[in-house]
Amino acid sequence: MNDTHFGSLTRKRILVFVIIGFTLLTSFKLVKMQLLENFFYQEKSMENSVRKDLIPAPRGVFYDRNNKVLVSNKPSFTLEITPAKFDTSLIPLIETMLHVDKGYIKYLFNENKKYSRHIPIKIKRNVDFDFIAWYQENKEKLRGVEYKVDLQRDYSFGVSGSHLFGYSKEIGAEQYQELKQEYDMGDYIGATGLEKMYESYLRGVKGYRLTLVDAKQKTIGRYLQGEEDKKAQKGDDLILGICAEAQKVAEETFAGKKGALVAIQPQTGEVIALVSAPEYNLADFASVTSSDVWTKLNNDEDKPLFNRATMSIYPPGSTFKMVSATAALNEGIIDEEYSLNCPGGLQFGDRFFKCMHVHGRVNVVQAIEQSCNTFFYSLILKTGLGIWSDYGKRFGFGQKTGIDIPEETSGILPDSAYYNRVYGKNGWTKGFLVSLGIGQGEVSVTPLQLAKYAALLANDGVSYEPHIARAYVDRETQEVVEFPRKEIDLNVDPSVLAIVKEGMYRVVNGDHGTARNIRMEDVEVAGKTGTAQNPHGNDHAIFIGFAPYNNPQIAIALVVENAGYGSTKAAPIAQAVIRAYLNAEKEAKEGKTVAVNTGGGQ
Amino acid sequence: MKIGYRLNDKFDLATFISVFLLSVIGLAAIYSSTVNHPTASGNFERQFIWFIFSIIIFFITYFVPPQFFRIIAVPSYILSILSLLLVLVVGKTVYGAKSWLGVGNLGMQPSELAKIGLIFFLAYWLTRHKGDINNIKDIGISLLIGFIPIALILLEPDMGTAIVFAFITIVMVFWSGINLFGLFVVFSPGIVTFASIFGTYAFVASLILVVTALIFFKKDLFLSASIFVMNIAAGFFFDYLYNILQPHQQKRIESFLDPNADPLGAGYNALQAKVAIGSGGLLGKGFMQGNQTQLRFIPQQWTDFIYCVVGEEFGFIGSIFVVVLFLIIFMRLLKLTSTQKDNYFSLITIGVLSLLFFHFCINIGMNLGITPVIGLPLPFLSYGGSSLLVNVFLIGVVLNFYRNRKQYA
Repeated sequence: MNDTHFGSLTRKRILVFVIIGFTLLTSFKLVKMQLLENFFYQEKSMENSVRKDLIPAPRGVFYDRNNKVLVSNKPSFTLEITPAKFDTSLIPLIETMLHVDKGYIKYLFNENKKYSRHIPIKIKRNVDFDFIAWYQENKEKLRGVEYKVDLQRDYSFGVSGSHLFGYSKEIGAEQYQELKQEYDMGDYIGATGLEKMYESYLRGVKGYRLTLVDAKQKTIGRYLQGEEDKKAQKGDDLILGICAEAQKVAEETFAGKKGALVAIQPQTGEVIALVSAPEYNLADFASVTSSDVWTKLNNDEDKPLFNRATMSIYPPGSTFKMVSATAALNEGIIDEEYSLNCPGGLQFGDRFFKCMHVHGRVNVVQAIEQSCNTFFYSLILKTGLGIWSDYGKRFGFGQKTGIDIPEETSGILPDSAYYNRVYGKNGWTKGFLVSLGIGQGEVSVTPLQLAKYAALLANDGVSYEPHIARAYVDRETQEVVEFPRKEIDLNVDPSVLAIVKEGMYRVVNGDHGTARNIRMEDVEVAGKTGTAQNPHGNDHAIFIGFAPYNNPQIAIALVVENAGYGSTKAAPIAQAVIRAYLNAEKEAKEGKTVAVNTGGGQ
Repeated sequence: MKIGYRLNDKFDLATFISVFLLSVIGLAAIYSSTVNHPTASGNFERQFIWFIFSIIIFFITYFVPPQFFRIIAVPSYILSILSLLLVLVVGKTVYGAKSWLGVGNLGMQPSELAKIGLIFFLAYWLTRHKGDINNIKDIGISLLIGFIPIALILLEPDMGTAIVFAFITIVMVFWSGINLFGLFVVFSPGIVTFASIFGTYAFVASLILVVTALIFFKKDLFLSASIFVMNIAAGFFFDYLYNILQPHQQKRIESFLDPNADPLGAGYNALQAKVAIGSGGLLGKGFMQGNQTQLRFIPQQWTDFIYCVVGEEFGFIGSIFVVVLFLIIFMRLLKLTSTQKDNYFSLITIGVLSLLFFHFCINIGMNLGITPVIGLPLPFLSYGGSSLLVNVFLIGVVLNFYRNRKQYA
């Protein structure tokens, strides 16, 4: 180590060592980067220079039972300006045409200053068609101005269906955290109604377009001539049991009222119409929902966002009398012959329970026809709470129906456990039962439950769980695939139901029926009126029924809030909807409807 | 093969071919990265003309009588110093450094010329007959010869080139037979300072190396301890040094230490260079097909980041080929020193070797993320006429010595 020779071997070796050492280090690094980590760097390089523009997938279209379009999609235009290509002297002109404030575009330009001038800036969403038409005419002069076509829901088919279809909205921050794998920020996702329930069918698959960009984000061209691009796949269309005409009539008759209506096809459980009034305008939710709209809807005392058909609970009133009748008849507690004298009410203990009239001697059919309270006060005391609530349960009260929209409540069907819970074990007496016999007191039901009940009565105790969507159209095979449906069975002797149904027939068609006012020449309707006592205001008018009597095609239930008597305020609406439905079905059979266009969409 | 033997006897074909191939690869890479560029599209033509010119200069240099290089040793150094002074007065500022002397459209960097001056004059001084490299005065003068151009270049300021000059000086002094312990004493604080940039662990590791070397040299305890303390002090010197650096140099050091910290700022080039090279894979994306290059993700790629054009478009095969060509040049140059009987020529060869090797290390290193981003071109490949010319000229000088080696036997 002590040599001091010019260019000695030691010195040469040190240099060789350093040169070879660094060369090896370089080679190892090259092997690592280019061979072992190549994939990682390739991804990075792709991310750098390939811009992925997502193409939204059109949501599935809603068709009604006769393949009429209920909800579809329409283009919406988003205006974009690329600053690098844009002549800023055009700003005032564009601002005028867009009907926006002066300085709006300049403000947006400043907001986006930190990005490359080659990245288009979103100027306005949902630009009206007049602007687009003007733009098309003056395109050459408007360099750097472009519009992007997005899709939004189109509700222009005459049916409102706000609570039925529901709306989609931009995915929220929390929801996004959960669904990161499938959604991107800014994606729309079903929020209520069918849009939410069938989100996975309706959303489709987004596509993308790959564009080659340089370091300044300037577009160079398409990546691999578009070979790697993916087309958006439209979501699966849904075929609903809804009848457009019936739905429309129901919505029209409910205009300006509060309440709800549900109609069901009793043989299939398909929902024919579902209305909750007041409605709201789904179109307000189609693109960006302004906060004004939200505030207004949320603060409205009539609660238009609330789905009364499935979430409001009402005392069923006299419409519940068929539960008592079915229970007593099927359990053999009474028979068809059994009759009772109505002196205008029933004395029970120290309380007198009133009837509307002095009906005299009535049997079960007449009691239903004339809605005799006395008969049913006495009947529930005979059958007892246990049997009564068992039959209530069989008809589906006190539980969710399982309908295919997410918003639903179960209502209340009291039984002894319920009373024990509410009043304590010995805190309640048989007297509590008396009003249950006529559907007052604690029992509360949703309009949907009432419709299901009507459907079960109509179809002799057998039906299917209520459901709105019948089938979906597979986006790949175009095959119509039916959703499975769940059968429900009352396990009640049909002869028992025949007696009850005769009572309902006579409500409309008998000499003393409470809904004689809706009797029709051509269609035999059976039904039952009800008036639900409302401690907060006027009574609610209720009607349930089905038609035609001999071959029921539609079962219906409706509540008109604060309207008074079921016979005059509720029954006529049922009549109109029944007529609309039966006419539509007749026309459909005669082949007047348009063929389904399952291949629609992009 | 008689002709082949005779040719090899007079001409070091391996070095020449390597230099030629590297220049051709460089031209291809310059073409690929600039032909579609809005402002640099003429660079290929310009570099091509310089390339032809360089070849001519090479052969002129090759055939000049070797005595010529002895005669020019002193004048070239003086001329270098004068031009370095001149550039400080009338120079053009390019990328923050006043480093260009412009004459009309033609420009040259005096620091390129000064490389020749330094190597020649230092070799001349160190191989003088009465010289003794282990005489403290001679060491001092040798270091001063290096220090004058370094100081002038630092004033431009061009830190990268100044480091090159320091490296050349140290390697030439080293080759001249300086006491290795003395060199170690001078050198180790610098290494410790550099290591301390990387944090405490690197600092401690470098101190362990220093201790190992001290044990190896078997000097007395007091001296060893003094040197050790000096090294520790050097480690803390970095903080001080860091503070006197220009902000853009500080940023470069920061970005070298963690290129991801500020991916759109100072670390951008380093990161994008790695992406370009890494994404090249085994065979590369093909000539003119690299998206990092073609879409201009690396600014000024044809200068300091030319190697990542090769890495991206010619892949591992191309990258390793460049490394191998450089290795051939380095090993050949080292070999030529032992065929050389004249120490002056041998030392010039070492000077050329150290110049090329240092550029190679720093440039390839920063492309691969091994070393900090210091703006040094890759010899023969990077765009830049005067750099190419000087490097080819120096190769011509070395091969000239080879041709005439027997004359001084």
